[in-house]
Amino acid sequence: MFLAIALVLSACAGGNGGNKSSGASGGNGAAGEAQSSSAAPSAEQAAAETPVQGGELTYALATSPDTLDPARSGLAVASRVYRSIFDNLVVKDANNEIKPWLATEWSVSDDGLTYTFKLRQDVKFQDGTPFNAEAVKFTFDRILDPNTKASNSASALKPYASSEVIDDYTIKLVLSTPSRAFLVNLTQTTLGIVSPTAVEKYGDQFGKNPVGTGPFKFVGWQENADITLERNPDYNWGPETASNQGAAYLDKLVFKIVPEEATRIGSVQSKQVLAAETVPPQNIAALKADSNFQVLQVETGGLPYTLFINQNKEPWNELKARQALQYGVDIGSIVKTLYLGTYEQAWSALTPSMFGYDASLENSVQPDADKANQLLDELGWTVGSDGIREKDGKKLTLHYVDGSPNREKRNDIAVMIQQQLKKIGIQVDVEITKDVATKVFQNDDYDIYGNSQVNVDPNALSQFYHTAAPGVLGNIAHVSDSQLDQWLEQAAVEKDDTKRAELYKNVQQFIKDNAVILPIYVFPYTVAASNKVKGLAFDSVGYPQFGGVYIQK
Amino acid sequence: MVRTIIGRVLSSLLVIAGSSVLVFVIMYLLPGDPVDSLIDPASATPEQIATLRHQLGVDQPLYAQLADYFGKLLRGDFGKSLLNSEPVLPKIIEHFPATLALAAASALLSVIVGVLLGVLSAIHRNRPIDVIARIVGLLGISMPTFWSGILLLLVFSIHLGWLPAMGSDGWKTLVLPAATLGLIGGGFIVRMVRNSMLEVVNEHFIVTLRSKGLSERAIMYRHALRNALIPSVTMIGMLVGEMLAGAVVIETVFSRQGIGRIVADAIMAKDLPVVQGVIVFSAIVYVLVNLLVDISYSYIDPRVRRAA
Amino acid sequence: MRESATAKALLQKRKWELPALRSSGRRFDLSRLFAAGAVAVIAFIVLCAIVPQWIAPYPPTEMMTDSIMQAPSAAHPFGTDYFGRDVFSLVVYGSRDSLFIGLMSVVVGGLVGGTLGALSGYIGGRLDSVAMRLVDTLMTIPGILLALAIAAAMGPSLTNIVLAVAAAAIPGYARVMRGQTMSINGRPYITAARSIGVTRFGIFWRHVLPNSLSPLLVMSTLGIGSSILAGSGLSFLGLGLLKEIPDWGTLLSQGRGYLTVAWWICTFPGLAITLLVLAVNIVGDWLRDYLDPKKKEA
Repeated sequence: MFLAIALVLSACAGGNGGNKSSGASGGNGAAGEAQSSSAAPSAEQAAAETPVQGGELTYALATSPDTLDPARSGLAVASRVYRSIFDNLVVKDANNEIKPWLATEWSVSDDGLTYTFKLRQDVKFQDGTPFNAEAVKFTFDRILDPNTKASNSASALKPYASSEVIDDYTIKLVLSTPSRAFLVNLTQTTLGIVSPTAVEKYGDQFGKNPVGTGPFKFVGWQENADITLERNPDYNWGPETASNQGAAYLDKLVFKIVPEEATRIGSVQSKQVLAAETVPPQNIAALKADSNFQVLQVETGGLPYTLFINQNKEPWNELKARQALQYGVDIGSIVKTLYLGTYEQAWSALTPSMFGYDASLENSVQPDADKANQLLDELGWTVGSDGIREKDGKKLTLHYVDGSPNREKRNDIAVMIQQQLKKIGIQVDVEITKDVATKVFQNDDYDIYGNSQVNVDPNALSQFYHTAAPGVLGNIAHVSDSQLDQWLEQAAVEKDDTKRAELYKNVQQFIKDNAVILPIYVFPYTVAASNKVKGLAFDSVGYPQFGGVYIQK
Repeated sequence: MVRTIIGRVLSSLLVIAGSSVLVFVIMYLLPGDPVDSLIDPASATPEQIATLRHQLGVDQPLYAQLADYFGKLLRGDFGKSLLNSEPVLPKIIEHFPATLALAAASALLSVIVGVLLGVLSAIHRNRPIDVIARIVGLLGISMPTFWSGILLLLVFSIHLGWLPAMGSDGWKTLVLPAATLGLIGGGFIVRMVRNSMLEVVNEHFIVTLRSKGLSERAIMYRHALRNALIPSVTMIGMLVGEMLAGAVVIETVFSRQGIGRIVADAIMAKDLPVVQGVIVFSAIVYVLVNLLVDISYSYIDPRVRRAA
Repeated sequence: MRESATAKALLQKRKWELPALRSSGRRFDLSRLFAAGAVAVIAFIVLCAIVPQWIAPYPPTEMMTDSIMQAPSAAHPFGTDYFGRDVFSLVVYGSRDSLFIGLMSVVVGGLVGGTLGALSGYIGGRLDSVAMRLVDTLMTIPGILLALAIAAAMGPSLTNIVLAVAAAAIPGYARVMRGQTMSINGRPYITAARSIGVTRFGIFWRHVLPNSLSPLLVMSTLGIGSSILAGSGLSFLGLGLLKEIPDWGTLLSQGRGYLTVAWWICTFPGLAITLLVLAVNIVGDWLRDYLDPKKKEA
């Protein structure tokens, strides 16, 4: 359960400039333009051809959204759907720069505590309610209200304290502490602007009747079957990162919920749907080879899938023991075997597209069983008769906790690591649980646990690597270092981008040198679609943008 | 007759209440709580979690939650989903027809296939038809449903393109799931019909009929089959549970709407009101179907009618 | 007597005749052949479970990452999986846990359900009505939901899966045992035993119980199959185990995503399950015929 939640976290800091782009660099204005692998890339065609008006896109999702209320949802899949229903004040482009959306311009006070936004005056919600400063205030105050039961949106909004409506189209947002995270955070889907009248009308059922200002309006949701959206004909305020700023080409957008892999891929192949997300690696080759289909991949930004080594547990509190894991696990072989060349190996605590990513870490750690064995020998762990190391009568075991279901073959990674570490005398006990929240976050009962996070700013690192305040649970590795804390704190408020990037590089270097984690892979969001589907692009974190999609006759 | 039915209904109510309490207790004992799936434990503060728990009422002791739940249930209030505040009753009513359609279609299919193969198998005992029928019957109950479902899907919707791979609108989407599920029921019924027909054949009244010179075919169809139907009907009553269980898997494989998926998801998310609602509802259905089965005996079997 | 002889003579003339009256020799040959085949299959699987190292060509955990997803060949009769493990060796070793789940859940379920049913049927009265309401209650909750809840509550482990599957099977055993006990209890020889002063427990232990066991035995045989299937269903729903050497249900459920690119990964474990369940059912059927006095007379 938690794994999915962790995808769309928040708590990140603002930062522009200093771009590192690998998988997701801009094509025709769309941030994170997908790299199409079909014979005729859709991006080029989108530019060359005139889009066709009308039609219906069916898009198979791997899981069901929990709710379509941005304030209450915690799932990436929900964002993929309501991204098209709600707009944000600002948007982030592929170069990590913040661009206008519902806000036309903004200014920040010198102390960094107030943000003043000028808003567009021509925007209407899908239910006819005019969009204005009151709506923005309503949206953010609603998240602070405990009765909303806000989840991830609450942490995305931090450190927002209150807002002041200056006039109909000017609003001042007041923070409790300065944060460079705040502006970038406003690009997060969970902070989309909601219609105040609709929220009042539907109350806690707003999530089943969402109303925003986006290019598509909500029509209906048959639970576990489909979610239907239709074109918002008045839409005229798309951000510059979208290939189509006007009303969408599609008449209808239908999300089908198809959890079973074989069924989902099968429904594209049998043309029951036009597109399907989360294509498993083993099916990618066949779909690429078939001229009727295209496979689109976009790297998701944030924290890659990372194995955190719990420093509260012995012997993993010792650097040499953690380094033995670093050398003993052949991540390259795991990624190649399981993902068949469709996923990139991760090398750092950040994904390559993030601001401040340290590319010098690439290839900096190579598997070396001899070194691993030597490190364990030095610690006094000697190989016993069954091949497992022992010390003072205790076996060297590693309690590896992972969630269920087997998302992105993460359980299979555990199985491979189990065999690899056996070779250096470590017995890996793999535990797969539905209840990661209890196991990991309440009981602290793991030596290794893996997680990833979709995010927009490197300040996301603070949650995972800054010494945790009592009762705060995000620091899974339980790493605590005053130098590390200082870098992270400084970077959260540093105004100079070059210095800020430098600070984050120090952080990444420290994490690697101290073997805090084992970074595994960068997740590519993968969509298989019929060749008739054109213009499908993705935003800076990898969520699909449907406004520019059309279906070729 | 009426008194029997009233008695049955009363004891059924007791059973339904019992299953509801049982599920409540099991769910209460599940580790963790629904708050975990509502809020990200990594970024939430303990106060936030405590507030949310209180709002949802999951911080109350078992007896208080139980009393609260049944108090509301008696007033026809099934409560709201803890996850998205959706009222439970409309949710079940929305999803039930799809599961009912699936269960009915597969029950029908199991009976048709099961009785047909069972009769053929009994009549042609130990001939090739018998062997084939029995193997088909056994295969039905020897394959994991998700596997047979995916195999059918690969052949008929991906390879041949005859039937849709997923969805729950229209009869076409019902064919593959019903076939998958019907295979199990059919397997049970083939065995049942075959065995009871062979048993009946040796009973006195058949021997008497035979000695009166009635044709074998007439004996088989008019008398043996009629008597063999009784256990098959009982079987259907028992299969209701199987069908619902199968629905949990089949609805996932074929992406159908239905209460099977709802309840499986709710169990995983510890969404107690939803689990409760579905259990109470399916218990009612189970009890109703078995009541109908009992009543229908009296039409099939004159002996039961006289006894009642 | 004469009349029935005439009837038999009449029957001989019909080209369409009742199978039950045909030569009984042929009938027995076929079911015996079936049963013998089934016993052979079971014996082989049990052998695999006891001494897998004699049969499997590779260690089941060895990952030959250079040769992943190889089609069946002489070197790998069932091919290799996505880790590069030899599927044949995995299936051979996987028999252990599969058999364990099948057997143990039947033992636990049969023991609890059987005891409940026997006591309820023999003692009767208030105990019976309470026990049967309990059983009715359990029956209204579909087995897999009960198993799902238990597996979710206790976390995945071999023991918990056994308990989950067993719990779901309890009501069935209880009902059958109760019915059987009651029917045996009403027979004349029990009354006779009672009249000569055999104690209540003595009658139960020496007469009722032994004579009630055969349907339970048959049911348990069939239960082995359904337990293995239920276990694989749990694995499909994400509540399965992840052990170094997975059981067949887990192998099948984990390999199903590769069906279109490497069919052998899940097909062979699937066939192993089907073959075992099939064999166990055939033996169960045969056992029922063998133990049923009515059939023996016929």
